[in-house]
Amino acid sequence: MSTKASEQSGDRRSFLTWFSSAALFGSAVISALANFVFLKPRATYGQPSRFSIGKPDAFPSGARIAIETRRICVAREGNQIAVISTTCTHLGCIVGVADTGFSCPCHGSRYDQDGNVTAGPAPKALPWYQVKLAPNGELEVDTSIEIKPGSYYNV
Amino acid sequence: MSVKTALAEIPRTIWTSIFRHSLPSSELGQAQTSFTNFFLHIHPVKVNRHTLKATYTLGLGLFSFFLFVILTVTGVLLMFYYVPSTTQAYDRMLDLRGSVAFGTFLRNMHRWSAHGMVIAVFLHMCRVFLTGSYKRPREFNWVIGVILLLLTLFGSFTGYLLPWDQLAFWAITVGTAIAGYAPVVGAKMQFLLLGDTTVGQEALLRFYVLHVVVIPLAITLLVAIHFWRIRKDGGLSRPAEADLAPGTEAVSVQVVAAPVELKPAEGKQAFGLMGLVRGPFTKVGNTPENTVYSWPNLLMAELFVFILTVAVLLVISLMFHAPLEEPVNAMHPPNPAKAPWYFLGLQELVSYSAFWGGVGIPGIEVALLMMVPYLDRKPGGVGRWFAKERLLANTLFVTFAVLNVILIIIGTLFRGPNWEFVSPW
Repeated sequence: MSTKASEQSGDRRSFLTWFSSAALFGSAVISALANFVFLKPRATYGQPSRFSIGKPDAFPSGARIAIETRRICVAREGNQIAVISTTCTHLGCIVGVADTGFSCPCHGSRYDQDGNVTAGPAPKALPWYQVKLAPNGELEVDTSIEIKPGSYYNV
Repeated sequence: MSVKTALAEIPRTIWTSIFRHSLPSSELGQAQTSFTNFFLHIHPVKVNRHTLKATYTLGLGLFSFFLFVILTVTGVLLMFYYVPSTTQAYDRMLDLRGSVAFGTFLRNMHRWSAHGMVIAVFLHMCRVFLTGSYKRPREFNWVIGVILLLLTLFGSFTGYLLPWDQLAFWAITVGTAIAGYAPVVGAKMQFLLLGDTTVGQEALLRFYVLHVVVIPLAITLLVAIHFWRIRKDGGLSRPAEADLAPGTEAVSVQVVAAPVELKPAEGKQAFGLMGLVRGPFTKVGNTPENTVYSWPNLLMAELFVFILTVAVLLVISLMFHAPLEEPVNAMHPPNPAKAPWYFLGLQELVSYSAFWGGVGIPGIEVALLMMVPYLDRKPGGVGRWFAKERLLANTLFVTFAVLNVILIIIGTLFRGPNWEFVSPW
């Protein structure tokens, strides 16, 4: 075998070695990452993000009613209705609802009536959720859709 | 051989088929015992006298390991009665207390050894740092140690949720919310960990699987590598004097390692084992004068630490009960809601700045810890506590360690309702 031929075959060999190693390693990484796809639930078994909270009559004007099981507060002024989250943006505790706003029992964060932070460690305002009248005349909340704070729904 | 003799000798033949040697009565026997027994061959036949100095290691690595063993045993026993279900978990806790033999006691042992392991692993890290033991060639073993510390914290954290009482629920709600502050991946990570948007059945199942399978397996594997590398990196770190025969003085010899090129010769080429071993290994410096046999010296030291661990744990578990609060009420957080104590330093920081406390500072701290042996490469001061040459490194480390401990103490004892400053007295 001439020197030149053996060099060429060495080149080809090292290229194939590198190529197949990279391919093997790459597929191993992709398989490992596939586990995360598996672990991310497509459907959750907990509370649905969209649910009914009953007829608008249940919320008299001027009332701020907390629905603790849903972690929301329903506020109504006249014909305008809004749904504000009661999950503290700091570390996920449930904030208490008062006429003057919200206060978190865990680490002392305070919010005004619209959910803006007025005191404490909370980094951002409480989100507002989309609320609509469903065809059956009941109010339907979707906590997966956050809307601009201050935008009310007219009933 | 008659049948009668064969029958009569059955006990002895079975015994000798299991144990190759009788209890050693000579040095050869002592060496063979360590060498041929599966459970003992993790030890070298002889160890440096310095390795056995209790004032040097304080036995902290062994304490951590034995606590892990106790956690595994008590954990497996508790698994026989535990159901990772939001409707049953708390009742099973009450059953452990009320109707399972030794139930309370086993749970106490498991709980207190988990806390103990967090403390022991942390102190072990302090010992390794303050004696400069992470230096060449032990850099990578330090990195494995840091990963083991993180796994210990994570193992303890995942176990925290399992009783499904108020303490567990809100500690994990707060703890995973801290993780959610990581940029880009934070919210995804939190969702992946909880399997849902809030702590519920999915989170309980996930934490259970991580706690009883994934993390213990990872710890077991890394502990095995950690131990194996102690041997391969030349045994426990020790000062240079410990490698000298007593009564001799150190002579500075500059060894220039000439790279030996292994040229494939024509035909067959045989390499001796010594040709493959590079760098320091167990035999280097271990002259007969400064070594002792592992059997019984090292074994006795280990047995002593084990008995001490068990004894202290038994006393604590008999005196103090593992906490169990009211069952989960997802609508009424306690005031204040606190993460597990080892994360309260972080929570204290989070109360000032969510990002820096939850992600920024801990991330930098972990990265710095991992990089320690690669940043500080000066060879001096290995094998002695608080060596003068390492004054700067030790001061920095102690400052960081003390700051973290102070933050944990503030978060644990000095924070009351609404996270306001309270006096514990």
